[in-house]
Amino acid sequence: MNGLVVLDGCADDCTMSVCVVSEAHAVMPPLEQFMEVCFEERRELFYRDVERGDLVIGRINSVRDFGLFVTLLCTAGGLERNIEDLEIKALCPLRCVPSTGNHDDPLSYYQIGDLLRAGVKGIDRYHEKLTLSLYSSSLPPHLDKVKLGVISKEDLPLHYSRGEKVTADSSQTYEKLLESSLGLSNPLNVDYLLGKLGISDTQTPSLMRGLQSKHFKEDDFATAIRKKQSVSWALKCVKVGVGHFKSRRYVEAMNEYNKALEIDTNNVEALVARGALYATKGSLMKAIEDFELALENCPTHRNAKKYLCQTLVERGGQLEEEEKLVTAEGLYKRAILLDNTFQGAAEALAKLQLRIQKSLELKEQEAAKEQEKTKTVETSAEKLRKILKEEKRMKKKRKRSTSSSTSSDTSSTSSDDDSSTSRKKSKKRKHKRRRSSHGSKKHKRRASSCSDKMADDDIEWFPAPANTSASYIDQKQSISKLISEGEQSWEKSRCEDGRGRLDDAIDRSLENLKHGAQSETSRPGRPNVNGEVRDQHRTQSISECARNRRDSSSSTQSEYSQKSDRYSKEFSSQGRDRSESERGGNEKMDRGERNSHDKDDGRKSSGGSLKKDIPSNLLDIFSQIAEFEKEKKLQK
Amino acid sequence: MSTQASTSGSVNEARGRRSAEDVEDSKKHFRVCRFIIDTGVKLGMRSVPMATACALYHRFFQSASLQVYEPYLVAMSAIYLAGKVEEQHLRTRDIINVCHRYFHPEREPLELDGKFWELRDSIVQCELLILRQLNFQVSFEHPHKYLLQYLLSVRSLLNRHAWSRTPIAETALAVLKDSYHGTVCVHHKPQHLALTSLYLALQTYGVQLPRGELEWWQVVCADITKAQIETIMSELLQLYDMEAKCT
Repeated sequence: MNGLVVLDGCADDCTMSVCVVSEAHAVMPPLEQFMEVCFEERRELFYRDVERGDLVIGRINSVRDFGLFVTLLCTAGGLERNIEDLEIKALCPLRCVPSTGNHDDPLSYYQIGDLLRAGVKGIDRYHEKLTLSLYSSSLPPHLDKVKLGVISKEDLPLHYSRGEKVTADSSQTYEKLLESSLGLSNPLNVDYLLGKLGISDTQTPSLMRGLQSKHFKEDDFATAIRKKQSVSWALKCVKVGVGHFKSRRYVEAMNEYNKALEIDTNNVEALVARGALYATKGSLMKAIEDFELALENCPTHRNAKKYLCQTLVERGGQLEEEEKLVTAEGLYKRAILLDNTFQGAAEALAKLQLRIQKSLELKEQEAAKEQEKTKTVETSAEKLRKILKEEKRMKKKRKRSTSSSTSSDTSSTSSDDDSSTSRKKSKKRKHKRRRSSHGSKKHKRRASSCSDKMADDDIEWFPAPANTSASYIDQKQSISKLISEGEQSWEKSRCEDGRGRLDDAIDRSLENLKHGAQSETSRPGRPNVNGEVRDQHRTQSISECARNRRDSSSSTQSEYSQKSDRYSKEFSSQGRDRSESERGGNEKMDRGERNSHDKDDGRKSSGGSLKKDIPSNLLDIFSQIAEFEKEKKLQK
Repeated sequence: MSTQASTSGSVNEARGRRSAEDVEDSKKHFRVCRFIIDTGVKLGMRSVPMATACALYHRFFQSASLQVYEPYLVAMSAIYLAGKVEEQHLRTRDIINVCHRYFHPEREPLELDGKFWELRDSIVQCELLILRQLNFQVSFEHPHKYLLQYLLSVRSLLNRHAWSRTPIAETALAVLKDSYHGTVCVHHKPQHLALTSLYLALQTYGVQLPRGELEWWQVVCADITKAQIETIMSELLQLYDMEAKCT
């Protein structure tokens, strides 16, 4: 509506002035002008009717140091009067002239003869004095956007410029002007003007008694009748459709239902009937959707509820067969919520819950079996952990006099309780190891270096994943022993806060190992083995690298006080790279195991695997530390 | 003498009969126009399409006879045609529904069966008939836009508080809407009709407008005289009397 580009219809002039004008309706000069109301009356009326917040336009006729004097030219908003010849003078005081922020005199921006648009700030009707302001705060909110200040001739309101033309040319009557204005031929001007005057077009008033709005009933209106008609038409279609459905003509039935829904969307009966058809045909999800939509529109529809329950139970049955037991359970519960008298749902839910329980029990049994199996097989990781714990305990017992960390005791005792059973089985082997490890440290060092090299050679020949041969287990145990010993010696040599932290970290890692072992044993056997073997692999490869990259081991120690996990992971990746360059086969195996392990993780929760990661990383660090110590000793 | 008397008597009788017929006819027309406006409101028609429908109806019956054509059918077709002309398209289904309910308020909405389609056919046929009868001249210039422009101009003459106190605009528009019950719309120029509505509204509330060399209505419409305004006003007021008689 606003901003139409209009060819101003000045047929007299033969000039076509293209001006952007809001001419949704014809803008006319004030009637006063045409009526030739006399001077006094106009003046009087002006002072009677002008209000604060009206816009006026005037010409500056003097600039004083206390403000501007303006002779009003025309009104620009709020009031529409012909005031040019009334010579109304108004004052715009200095305080109402906005400063420009340049520390200039604000009045210097105004010249005599400038056109000024201002808002009326104050009126003294008795003394016929007007005060103007150039601040937009003086205007009402709907005139907020109007720019106040100096304007140019183009900005003069249309009714004023038209009025000027009228004074110039007396043959321009109101009628002629109206007819020639483009706004009149705007087809929507009636709507626009009605809006401007605040009258609704569909509920125009009437003075006739019978046409008063209170005589019109809501039911008589076209939309209401149409709705009723649609509903009954749709119902007819649904009836026909149900007939088809009963005679097993499913395609025709579906057509009828769809037709009914086109006529009347969300028709409850049609939705229920269509849902039933879907359920019979087997598209249970679509059926459930339809029933739910029907219940939304009419929550008390008996059939909808009944059918929905039945469909939910059926769908639950389907899901059960697909092993999606939890979703099935959810569906049964929903069905019961909807209609708790529905026997089928309650029975099905009970059955399902039993089944879930059974499956859980089954899993537990399997896991127990697996655990036993692993205990008998005595996987290397298990053994490693046991050994580490033993060592830790021993070390703690020795250090109890020197160190004062109590947390380690509690953790070791807890781990003690847990491992009581498994410990007994492998006591014999552990004792053997311990005996060999006792002795002078230097011996240990040499032995460790020799055994490391041995382990190194053995690792080179290590053929396949998931191999838990006895020789392999033995070697692993020795390496782990060395790692733990190395860590002990490192602790003794370094008297720092890191020591305490190291203790805690080790305890935590041992606990994690224990937890990890437990969660692992709860899973079925095979992936377990793979995972553990993977860990071992990583520790192996990393220990090799530790030997090769001696520089990095020192940095490991310094960074140990920081996040050890992150660094060790990075190092492990480096280690992996190293193994790539040196032992391609190894790396492939690593990858293979990792993939299988990842698959397992995808299937089960990854919590257990995370816990496994931490201890293996710590083990890596320990191995590096061991190496560093070895070098130090060697250097010495 | 007696023959003269008898002839004059018969002439008077004939005139009487004619005027009686006319009165009956105008009552009928009034009722049908009431039906049109009523239906228009229920269909959500805007003022101008409603005015076009009434104007079509009046024009049609200027040259046609009530005995030959069923007025209510013509009215329904006029509504349908007016919707098309003034770009507020109405569905025949809605028109039939509302009209059916107008005549049979107790019954259910019509089934969309054979009878319904027959009705629809008849509306469409009648539409064509109206078009032919009116020589396909179906676009009217209505007083509404003039009235609204005049309202704006007059508003500028008044104090804004006085304007908001007195519902001049609503009254003028109501008078204009009610004028369509009669044939005023086809007998007078739209500007005059608009002016008279506004004049009547201002007079009703006793609003004083400033005086100048010319009266405001003289400015707005150069060729109208006070007498003409008075005539139209009396015709408008007669319509209100008719309501009492007809309904």
